[in-house]
Order: sequence, then C-alpha cells, then structure tokens
Amino acid sequence: MKRFSLKWPLVISSSVLAFLIFIVPLYGAAVYSFKGNGGKGHSWVNYQWLIHQDGFYPSLITSLKLAVLAALLTLALMVPTMVYLNLKGQKYKSLVDFLCILPLIIPVVSLAIGAQVAMPKILQNSEYELVFFFVIIALPYTYRALDTSLQTIALKTLVEASRSLGASWTSTIIRVIVPAIRSGITGALFLTFALSIGEYTITSLLHWETFPTWTVVAGQQNILGAIAISVFSFVGAIALLSVIALLPKRSALRVEVDE
Amino acid sequence: MGVVKAQSRIRSSGRGSGVLPLLPFFLFTGFFLIWPVVAVTLRSFKGNTNEWTLANYRPILHSGPYLHAFMVSLKLSLITALIGSLLGAFFAYVIVKYARGKFGAVVDSISAVFANSGGVPLAFMFVAAFGTEGIVTKVLKDLGWDIYAGHFTIFSFTGVVMVYSFFQVPLMVLVFKPAIAGLRREWEEASISLGASAFTYWRRVGIPILIPSFVGAFFLLFAGGFSAYATARALTVGTVPLVPIIIGTLVDGNVISDQTNLGDSLAVGMIVVATIVMAGYIWAQRRAAKWRS
Repeated sequence: MKRFSLKWPLVISSSVLAFLIFIVPLYGAAVYSFKGNGGKGHSWVNYQWLIHQDGFYPSLITSLKLAVLAALLTLALMVPTMVYLNLKGQKYKSLVDFLCILPLIIPVVSLAIGAQVAMPKILQNSEYELVFFFVIIALPYTYRALDTSLQTIALKTLVEASRSLGASWTSTIIRVIVPAIRSGITGALFLTFALSIGEYTITSLLHWETFPTWTVVAGQQNILGAIAISVFSFVGAIALLSVIALLPKRSALRVEVDE
Repeated sequence: MGVVKAQSRIRSSGRGSGVLPLLPFFLFTGFFLIWPVVAVTLRSFKGNTNEWTLANYRPILHSGPYLHAFMVSLKLSLITALIGSLLGAFFAYVIVKYARGKFGAVVDSISAVFANSGGVPLAFMFVAAFGTEGIVTKVLKDLGWDIYAGHFTIFSFTGVVMVYSFFQVPLMVLVFKPAIAGLRREWEEASISLGASAFTYWRRVGIPILIPSFVGAFFLLFAGGFSAYATARALTVGTVPLVPIIIGTLVDGNVISDQTNLGDSLAVGMIVVATIVMAGYIWAQRRAAKWRS
C-alpha cells in the first residue's frame, strides 16, 4: 500500500531532476546553435558554416574509416576468443576478464604516453595505429556484451551438434554461433564504433586529426559552429542507439535461463 | 590458424583446454595494453642521459604545482563521484521500478549516450547553456538570479564539476541498475510477511545488500572522473590544473628541458591512483557477488 502512494512523487521528482540536469543544457545548446549571424534570428547558418569548413569531410571520413576498422577488428579478435573461453578455456577466464577490465583502470592519458614510448616507428607514422587503441579502449564493453549473450545460449549443445554434423570450427562459429549471439555482436560492434568515432584523448595526444580533434580546432574560430556540431552528434547518437535498442532481439536459439 | 590447431587438440585429447586459441588475444593485449604501460613505467625512472633515477618523481612528491594538480584531480573525482552515485542511484531505482519494456530500453540507450559523452561535444554544450552569453544564464538572469554575479564561471572548478556530473549520473544508472534489479522479490515478501514495514525492509535488508554494489560503482565513477581528459581540456584550456591536462600540455611540447620524462612519472602516478581505486572496486564487486549466486 505504502509503495503505491510513493510511485507518483518518485516518478515526478526524478523526471523534474532529469529534465534540469540533462534536457536543459541540451536544449540550451540546441537553441544557441540555431542563432543567426551576430547572434540574431534563427537559422541553419552555423550548420552550413561547419560543413563548408576545410577539413570537415576529410576528418569525418577518417573517423568513420577508423571506427569501422576498429569495430571489425574487435569482432575478429573477440568473437573466437569469447567462444573458446566459454566453451573450453574456463581456466583462463579470470585472466581474460582481468585484461579486459584493465582499460578502465589504466587512464587513457597514461596509455597514450605509453604508446608514444612503446610503439614501433612504422606504426606511429600511420593513423591506423589508432585502430588498435580504439579496440583496447572498447574491450571492457565488448567483453561484457559478448559474454552476456554467450551465456544465454546453449553453447555446448550447439557446438556439439554442429561439429557432429561435420561442420568445421570456422563454419560452426560463422554459421551457428554468430547468428545465435547476434544481439551481443550488434552491441559490441556498435559500442566500439561509437567509442571510436568520439574518441578524443588518445587521438589528440598522439597528434592525429579525426573528427573530434578537428571540432576542437574549428571551435576555436567559431564557437557557434562547434556547438552546432556538438548538438548534432549528441542527438544523432541518441537517435541511433534508441533505434538499435528497439530492434527485436529474440533469437530462436535462445534458451530460457532458470532463475 | 589457432582455431585449426585447437580442433586437432580437442579431437585428440577430448577435453583439452589449450591456450593456443587465446594466443591472438594475449598477443594483442600484451602488445597494445601491457607493453605501453611497462614502457612508460620504465622510462619514468630514466633521466635525460638514460641513467636510472628517481628525479622525475621529485616534482610530484614535493609540494608544488604537480602535487597541487593531483589534489585538485582527486577533489574533482571525489565530488563528482559523490554527486553521480547518489543521484544516479535514485534514478536507477525509479527506472527499475517504473520504466519497463520499450521505454526502459530507450532510457537505457539514452543513459549510454550520456554516460559516454564525456567528450568534446559536452564541453561545448555547457558553454552554450551556462556560458556568459549562455541561454540558461540569460533565462536565470531574467528570473533575477545572475549566476555570474559571484566567482562562478563555466570554465572554473565548479563548472567542471557540473559538466562531469552530466556523465557521472547516467554512468551510475548503467552500472547500478543491475544491482537494484537483482533484489529478489522474495526477500521483500519474506520480510514483509515477518512483519517488517517497507522502511524496515530497506534499512535491514535492501540497503545492506546494495551497499557493496554502491561502493563499487562509486569507485568506478571516481576512476572515470580522475582519468577524464577531453571534456576538461575543451572546456577549461588549462585554467583548472588537473593531472591529465598537465600531461597533455607536456606532450604537446611545452616542456622545460630538464623535465623530459616528467610526463611519464605523472602518467605512472595516475596509474597508481587508478589502480588503488579499482582495487577498491574489485573488492566491492566480490562482496556484491555474494548475493547473486
């Protein structure tokens, strides 16, 4: 009885709080970004300005390219690793678990300094070095996403069935396991992509130009333009993630786990 | 390759569990994660002429701008982790309790965006809202509260606290929600059938069970706030002395000649602090896991 009466005060107070903390700054920035020249009127001028700046497309393309590569490399590295870990390599699980949580422990700034000291010159001279570090930074999240979805399927049964029907390991992974853990894979892919495309710390400390570092430089000349792009990337990310969250996640191969 | 070899191993030994299939993972993390940390640690103990020395650590330990920066960084992480964990726990409770189905899923993904937005866009957005010419600033001024009447600017310590809370709160929601969702209905029903009020249930059962998860999440937020770089960098341009910002300045080449490897020792200092904090996190996680089996 008591809980019932608490419902609306709780929902309303938390909604008001969330509105003040999250919506107000976002709304303020959005309004600001539509200011016209000299701060008068409302227009798209700041968004147009941004698109016509030198470096907009090149840096955006660099970011997209690196993020796609990082997401693919993450899958190539982590799907076989996680499958094996859950299937046969139980005794290594705590070690892998620890290595995957390390990127949360080691400050990215420190990792960047370390990369400058440790990476061979040939890698340091190519922007593709960032791909490897994006994969590392995303590890804590990819590990969780894949591990969670692997634990909801009857992995052993699926593998034994597929192997006994004569499928090779490669085709077992690609044609049986991957479809079964599709939601975990989508999650891992998207997380890596999102983290990579917004990554600023390691990129700027290693002196590469991607979209986020470009925005900071561009923002120094035109703060309205920088705000416009910030609002754009924020709203875009929320829209994209919400769409993904609403996609059907059920898989035919899923088993119900008893509580 | 690894997979093929594992296949023959498994065939021959039946229940074999070789390390070979995990080799790509170990090589990758070894080279891109462990080796950089080892390398920077080693170099932090070297002087300009490559001799072993503790000289790089002297400026940190003796009072001065570097020790001060560590203090400011710790204070910032402590305050924002407190704000984030308390507010976030409240939101998490309301979300678990009242937001279900599709709406819950959308709230989840919005939290994920806000939590991972500790970057450049966030800094610009707060300038737009709370800067001298910001929209919110103007509205508040019209309502009779000039937030710039005192010492406040969005580029100050208080400003950074506000911006950091923006990603600390939703991060707490993400991390703490599973803990609240893990509270079994049976526990509540059992205590109520034994005559406990809702208040007694929370005081004697709910909160004691949640405390380890809460403490763990607090440590995680603390570590995140301590290491954050992009937001503060874009927002303050060095006006608030934080360790990551100072390292960034050193890396960008504003180095005094006899302090070549000072950035290394600061980086190692950060690793040490973060390790201590995360040890707390892991300890708290272990305690929290007790209830989950």
